[in-house]
Amino acid sequence: MTRGIRLLFLLALLTGCATQKMSGDQLARVAKDWSLSIRASQVIPVYPLTEDLQPGDVFLVQTPIEDQVKVYLGKGFLPLENLVTRLAVSGYAGFYRGWPQVEDGNRAPPRAWQFPKEGSPEADFSQAPIAAFPTYNFSVSRSEGLNVAIPVQGVPIGLNLLDSASANGAITLKDAFTYALPNRTMFDAIHQWAQDNAGYLKQFEPVPPSADGKVPPKKFYLRVINRVYLVKTVDVSLFSNSSFGGGASAGVPQPVQLLNIANATEAAKQFAAVNDILSNATSSSAKPAGSGDAAAAQPLVGGTVKLAMATSRSVSLIETFRRPLVIGYLASDYEIESGGKLAAPLPTLNLLEGRSVVAGQTITYQGCDKNCAIIRPWLKSPGNRAKLEAWLQKNGGGIALADFLTGDDAVLRQRAVTELIEGSQ
Amino acid sequence: MPLQPPSQQLNVPRDDVSNVVDTMLMDTRVKWIAVVFQDTVDSTDRFIITPHIVDPTRGATT
Repeated sequence: MTRGIRLLFLLALLTGCATQKMSGDQLARVAKDWSLSIRASQVIPVYPLTEDLQPGDVFLVQTPIEDQVKVYLGKGFLPLENLVTRLAVSGYAGFYRGWPQVEDGNRAPPRAWQFPKEGSPEADFSQAPIAAFPTYNFSVSRSEGLNVAIPVQGVPIGLNLLDSASANGAITLKDAFTYALPNRTMFDAIHQWAQDNAGYLKQFEPVPPSADGKVPPKKFYLRVINRVYLVKTVDVSLFSNSSFGGGASAGVPQPVQLLNIANATEAAKQFAAVNDILSNATSSSAKPAGSGDAAAAQPLVGGTVKLAMATSRSVSLIETFRRPLVIGYLASDYEIESGGKLAAPLPTLNLLEGRSVVAGQTITYQGCDKNCAIIRPWLKSPGNRAKLEAWLQKNGGGIALADFLTGDDAVLRQRAVTELIEGSQ
Repeated sequence: MPLQPPSQQLNVPRDDVSNVVDTMLMDTRVKWIAVVFQDTVDSTDRFIITPHIVDPTRGATT
């Protein structure tokens, strides 16, 4: 068998090997590993990757928060289901004042970057706000199942190129971008939408527990996306731990010496040949060589994979998506209250990770105590309100002035009087 | 960063309603405030004060 045919045969296996059936557990594990990597950057992972997610997207969350936390910690990500609406939010031009190509209306982000020229599908995110992610390390093993679930196809392809049973690898998310609208803008937009759609939201009012206590109370939330992170290019590097033995790889060619420095011309030819085959294997019209209809029906993945470097023990691939894909987001959750009204927003990430959040709620008037009576007239003097607001931002978790003065915050009021009023006399 | 929007307050006695409303209105995001009679306890009328950031009269009524 000539080297070219061997290469072709090996790469023809890429699609087949990479998309072979695996158990649900294996798929879930890969999804979790990927998601944990993204979560490490304080971003809620999107799985699978999608281009069609943007600030202003509103999802109905019907799972109790405790169960969401379980799912999030167990799976590593939250399925994005029940898309309710996409808010037509304006405010990009003001928020990104002076930023080129940022405007409101039909060309609001990300449209001007996704489709810079009418009729052309080529994206140009060169003027979008950039982001950077750390490199993620991982281990893969054929015996543990690989790998239609990982959202970058470079990993299974690389493992097949290495012809290795297991490998350590690194994924670098290059060409990352982010854009957002402030929560404040989203707050107004979602409240206006909630009022206009109160009849729809009313069906998601809180459900009280059953009289016998067997059915727990149920609450529903609206999750409003306000920032997304996108990636266009993914670099995958794999370092072989071990190679298959002859017996274990029946029918599989031996590792290909892709980079033979002693023969630069031959190496260049092989690189070109591999990249040609990869290009065909990952294009939407290609069928793997020698495959039947079943193989042709395998799901095809979106990016273009190119071989960057290869030796007998390592391989590096660059996967470029046609347009940047959203890999993660930040959002706020609004509990749907009685009558379809919305409660104060809570940061989704904080909820999912069990961090404390300060929420505006109904509070009970506690009376204006001695310190409240001192603060009220002091507040009327010019400049004092700004001082108190800054102090509350730093010391009171951003509590509202009205809540601070007559709510259950006697200790905080005492501190404010001591530090702001008595301290300045 | 602005402070949190003010919360709805329960049990506000009549003679302090104006002060609570005044403080809520210090937050310039608050555009509407609903003052609703709650009950009378020991001859003191008490009110529920609800600040609104968006127009509560727009959209469907509940």
